[in-house]
Amino acid sequence: MKNTGDLSRRQILAAAGFVGLATLAGCGGSGDDGSDGKDLSKKRTGAMKTFGAGERFTATRPLSFSLLHNDNPVYPMKKSWLFWKEVTKRTRVTLKPVDVPLADYEKKRSVLIGSGDAPLLIPKTYHPSEVAFVSSGAILPVSEYVHLMPNYRAKVKKWQLEPELDSIRQADGKYYLLPGLHEKAKSGYSLSLRTDVLDRLGLSLPTTWDEVHDVLKAIKAEYPDKYPWTDRWSTNTPFPCGALFGYLGQAYGVKAGWSYDNISFDTKSGKFVFTATQDAYRAMVEFLRQIVAEKLLDPESFTQQDDQAVQKLLAEKSYAISANPQELVQNYRYNLNKQVKGAQIEMIPVPLGPAGPVVLGGARLENGVMISSKALRTDSFVALMQFVDWLWYSDEGQTLSKWGVEGVTYTKSGNRFELKPGISLMGSDPKAPKDLQKDYGFSDGVFSYGGSWALVSSSFGPDERKFQNAMAQRKQLPIDPAHPLRSDEQERATLWDTPLKDHAIQNTLKFVLGKRPMSQWGDYVSELRAKNMQRLVDLHNAAYERFKKEHG
Amino acid sequence: MVSVHRPSRGYRVFQGINGVLLTLVVVLTLYPFLNIVARSFSGEHQIRAGQVTLWPKGFNLTTYKVVFHDSMFWRNYGNTVLYTVVSTVIAMFLTTCYAYVLSKKHLRGRTALVGVAVFTMFFTGGLIPNYVLVTHLGLKNSVWAIALPNAISVFNLLVMKAFFESLPTELEEAAQIDGLSTYGTLLKVVLPLSKAVVATMALFYSVSFWNSWFSAFLYMDRAELMPVTVYLRNIILGATGGSNAGAAQAQLTQVGANIQAVTIVLTALPILCVYPFVQRYFVSGVMLGAVKG
Repeated sequence: MKNTGDLSRRQILAAAGFVGLATLAGCGGSGDDGSDGKDLSKKRTGAMKTFGAGERFTATRPLSFSLLHNDNPVYPMKKSWLFWKEVTKRTRVTLKPVDVPLADYEKKRSVLIGSGDAPLLIPKTYHPSEVAFVSSGAILPVSEYVHLMPNYRAKVKKWQLEPELDSIRQADGKYYLLPGLHEKAKSGYSLSLRTDVLDRLGLSLPTTWDEVHDVLKAIKAEYPDKYPWTDRWSTNTPFPCGALFGYLGQAYGVKAGWSYDNISFDTKSGKFVFTATQDAYRAMVEFLRQIVAEKLLDPESFTQQDDQAVQKLLAEKSYAISANPQELVQNYRYNLNKQVKGAQIEMIPVPLGPAGPVVLGGARLENGVMISSKALRTDSFVALMQFVDWLWYSDEGQTLSKWGVEGVTYTKSGNRFELKPGISLMGSDPKAPKDLQKDYGFSDGVFSYGGSWALVSSSFGPDERKFQNAMAQRKQLPIDPAHPLRSDEQERATLWDTPLKDHAIQNTLKFVLGKRPMSQWGDYVSELRAKNMQRLVDLHNAAYERFKKEHG
Repeated sequence: MVSVHRPSRGYRVFQGINGVLLTLVVVLTLYPFLNIVARSFSGEHQIRAGQVTLWPKGFNLTTYKVVFHDSMFWRNYGNTVLYTVVSTVIAMFLTTCYAYVLSKKHLRGRTALVGVAVFTMFFTGGLIPNYVLVTHLGLKNSVWAIALPNAISVFNLLVMKAFFESLPTELEEAAQIDGLSTYGTLLKVVLPLSKAVVATMALFYSVSFWNSWFSAFLYMDRAELMPVTVYLRNIILGATGGSNAGAAQAQLTQVGANIQAVTIVLTALPILCVYPFVQRYFVSGVMLGAVKG
């Protein structure tokens, strides 16, 4: 009893510190529920009374919005860009960019959001990275406010994107990211082959995976001591050969490589299943295993750096490699021309497999914009949403972001866009003194993505046009139905997800490289089961059933 | 006595192996740097084709010209110089004062002062609290955001304190008898005797400020305020960050391998030039503080 009265200075200090901390924590926890005020009538400063799809947004008084800008080293941001001026001229809105180097964009974004210092507009966010911020209340559940965005709604309706949007909803049924919208799925990657070598051997370009196999065998017969195919995109990704597995998996109708996800929806049984144990997945593994066993694919593909793979191609140690249209033109073909006389290389439409002419679903959503919750507390909130709608989702805004100003940076005849002479885009005219991205700020990845097929395809080079047109004929597989997890479920899922994913990927490689016999496939499945595979699947199925019941 | 003049055979073999091993280590350490220098003078497609090792292929100076004409590079380079100089001066001033105080054994509360410093070695507020603090102090977008939070490195502080402690107290007593004040003793007696440790600490600080990028990245909002390390990081990591697949990634590979090499060379050059001159203080500086009695 005697002691209670006299606390030492240290104890008092400690106690004071504790109280201070608790108060701070309390502040963080509450106080974000100001968003309850659905009454937007007082937040219409600068907003247009009526704003419809296809109309230009012009603020009724000058406004400025802060924006997180991802600074690409290829076209470092300049204040003098025509883009900023033209946006202000048309909308009376001044964008105030906060410049973040691309290499560490995600890191700075987390710090800014975490410290409450984030700009109002946070673009270049890839789903599902917005999920991490949902529970903090720092970002706006934008789905509640899309009624302010006529262009966005019109495009969602016209291109029937509702199921895709459902896939990014959280457990509360809302989504927190305004994604980029595509009319048609754009395919990125496929196999490229040295066509001059094929011609010399009397081979034609393969269209199916069996033909790919035959072509590789024929090249191998000619050059027995070389691997006909070497591959890349194995570093900085949990799934080596991310591109190759991606498009090979697509031919088998499964998610693999960069598209890999532990959970896939099985339309036949109407349930979620584990991806890396599906029969089609096993068939894919067996196919690639055979290719490797016959020494047609360089086993170093799964570990080497991109540069090493390209060096093998340029040194004629290999004749096939994964590509995307830009790499094909600007790297492989450009360097091959300097290196090897008469070399020609082409990218083929993704070869067909057992799944037929399909592309995986979900590719019609792009990275998008998060909006800080602070925006709702400003009195120009409505104008902000109308502005976002105009710049990112209207035809006029998208054309401006991509091509610039008609008559200044481009001319248009019919549906064809043509850059003004003296302006280059991604090396289209190496002698041009100006560059659309570097000097004008258009085709900036922060503002320009998605849109109608006419607009997206307007900048394709001849190779990409051929490739994309072939791919656009294919049927899109249905996307996984919405099954958002609650936050406690999310925690458990995260705990199980990574070990399962690691084990699945490691063993996929072991099977492919022949380090594990296919007869052990059953063992592999039971190992996954020991790592809570079934519980993860059940968790997702339960969430699916719940979402179906609650949100129809 | 014979053995002094003619080392035994075993010893000579040992020395021989030593020499070979150390030469190998030197080659291994130098190779990457020489490779980068060679790349900086080579043509883009020779680099891509993996032909460049120690000697430039397709020799040209165009890449240097391109980088020399990039105003943002020079602007950031200037920032780096400014940030390094300002931060090093502040850091040296504060560290010397702090260390000198701590080295005085008769001072009351000395252990508490040491404790305060050492505490920060083990516990930090964390990223976001630090950010909030710096922002609310209004330091953002200024050199102070870089200089002040990193002004005292506890490791350097302790080395310096040990060095000061090793100076004979008689010297200072003599100085006091001759009528020097405390500051006079520090400036006119102690510091002139501490050139080795001061040079070493200045080198430590300036190298670490020159190479640092994170605090600038965190507290600067505009590209023209960034140091050259952030610029460098962006063109190198931006070009190799593979995870954001798709068109954006494909565009990035355009920052050529030769431009990267030139930027690396130009960024590393000043430190390389300074190093040999300060290095002679280096060994004695660190050792003097560490070995006592």
